Amino acid sequence: MTIVDAQTAPFSSLPKRRDPVLIGLWISLVIVAIIWLAPIVFITFTAMKSNPEVLNSAAFAPPEKIVWENFTKAWVKGNFNETFVNSTVITFIKVPLGLLISAMAAYALAQIQMGWNKFLLIFVLFGAMIPFQVMLAPLFTLVNSLSLIDTYPGVILPYLAFGVPYQVFILHGFFKAIPKELTEAALIDGASHVTIFRRIFLPVSLPVLAALLILDFVATWNEFAMALVLLQDKHMWTLPLGLMSFQGQFSDNYGQLNAAIVMTVLPATIVYLIFQRYFVSGLTSGAVKG
Amino acid sequence: MANVEISAVRKSYGALEVVHGVDIDIKDGEFVILVGPSGCGKSTLLRMIAGLEEISDGAVSIGGRVVNNLTPKERNIAMVFQNYALYPQMTVAQNMGFSLEISGKSKAEISSKVNSTAEILGLTPLLERKPSQLSGGQRQRVAMGRAIVRDPAVFLFDEPLSNLDANLRVQMRAEIKALHQRLGTTIVYVTHDQIEAMTMADRIVVLRGGVVEQMGTPMDLYDSPANMFVAGFLGSPSMNFLKGRLAADGSPGLTLEDGSEVKLQHSPQGTSNQAIVLGIRPQDIAVDPVNGTPAVIKVMEPTGADTHVLVELAGQDLVAVLPPRLKTTVGETIPLSFASPNVHFFDAASEANIPCDPKSEHDQ
Repeated sequence: MTIVDAQTAPFSSLPKRRDPVLIGLWISLVIVAIIWLAPIVFITFTAMKSNPEVLNSAAFAPPEKIVWENFTKAWVKGNFNETFVNSTVITFIKVPLGLLISAMAAYALAQIQMGWNKFLLIFVLFGAMIPFQVMLAPLFTLVNSLSLIDTYPGVILPYLAFGVPYQVFILHGFFKAIPKELTEAALIDGASHVTIFRRIFLPVSLPVLAALLILDFVATWNEFAMALVLLQDKHMWTLPLGLMSFQGQFSDNYGQLNAAIVMTVLPATIVYLIFQRYFVSGLTSGAVKG
Repeated sequence: MANVEISAVRKSYGALEVVHGVDIDIKDGEFVILVGPSGCGKSTLLRMIAGLEEISDGAVSIGGRVVNNLTPKERNIAMVFQNYALYPQMTVAQNMGFSLEISGKSKAEISSKVNSTAEILGLTPLLERKPSQLSGGQRQRVAMGRAIVRDPAVFLFDEPLSNLDANLRVQMRAEIKALHQRLGTTIVYVTHDQIEAMTMADRIVVLRGGVVEQMGTPMDLYDSPANMFVAGFLGSPSMNFLKGRLAADGSPGLTLEDGSEVKLQHSPQGTSNQAIVLGIRPQDIAVDPVNGTPAVIKVMEPTGADTHVLVELAGQDLVAVLPPRLKTTVGETIPLSFASPNVHFFDAASEANIPCDPKSEHDQ
């Protein structure tokens, strides 16, 4: 090779040097991913195996023959008809309502100067600082005194009370980072605060709202302790309660038990997959805007 | 269209007063520019006119109606912000039509007004784009379009060109001026850039520390600054100030701190040997091998059309705008003459302008 050739050789032909830190990061990411994925693989494979196959095959071996029956039997035995509907009603009312209330509260605290905004924000945040386990007993007494035990409002209202503070906190930070000129321009354009909130802030905040929606959906869908205390009637149980009962009764039938777990987790996974694109951009946009 | 009257307006944040009783009377259709350094209260004043900031004391009237207690939308004003403040999720057309939509105008009316305004501003091909797909200049034009569509009584501009690059700023300056000539609407415009103020305004209001230092037409302020602050603020490069004492014999001249003499064409009204400050614009300094005072060249900046020369005279730095292709170099001395008819005199203590003594005209 002549000197000229060597100088004009494309960069792609040069040996690439990989950053060892980057390689280390990738390896640790793969290990963490395997640790997280292992139980999911185990549950999914076991859910599709017959009981003898579960006992005789390796834990992570794929099923030889997929046993769909596990799902149908678990659905009937675990009374999923009722628990699924209960979970759906509670989650589909609580999550959007909670987000709306939080967003409106965060807007008011961030954009409308009332003189005591800071105090109000700290007051609201105080709610997020008390572990709900401490509140379970008084909560039961309160809900009971309102005769709301074993009703949808009896569980949705406490969920709202415990969910709103951290959502207000996150949205308040996001709304504060939106330039105040945007609000001022809209005020001059003749918009009311309701219009500004609906037409400007909500569309601008879609990524962070999607992120909160996913987090809240998963948390509400999987919530166990509060539902256990507030929903005594078996017919009002949510999926996690139904799953616990199923586990107690049919813990020796591993195939069906894991099928029940898969069915419980699946809706939250689907919601996550639908919104995960916004979820990631919501997290980063929040981070960059402070 | 409407006039704007600002009477004894004050603004305080708690105990801190930032605007100290400002009076400005803006005529119908006038283009007034509030100019001053950061923190002089110009934006606060504009925001008080807009209704975005409460007025602590005094009154603002628009079209003869006191607007102190009216909301921004009731004041019939439109504002253009420094960072454009376009609604990011709306298209250009939606941004421009937003105010009309809120006021309940029909779709046909909105579209016709948006289209005609877009035509004025050359925005027609961009109407369906989102703000993120526009350049800085285009965004600023959309922000102006949003203001024009409303057909307000008064336009308020809050440093609208500060985010643009130098070339675009020059172009937009001309566009805003042409727009004012076309629409004839009253404009109150805030800037810290004295060139914007000089080139665009019918009248300039110079503010410092929440007080009006001087107001008048650009050339009034340029030719007859009330004090050293206004003199130094307007004009580019800034006016030079030379400290010295009037000649003891009363002849037009100045004795500098190191004892050297500077010959002048005028002398100010005042007693001889009084401590004063001579103000002379860089463009009024000339090279004069016969009567010039020698000054040492520190820096030379050729701009093509002329040369900006930083010199040292009696321990004080001065800038002179001299002809291009000077045959001198840094470190050499150059004889400079200050005998221009356009010099200004200021009291060394109060910094106020001292008028020239008409009897002191001295023919060199």
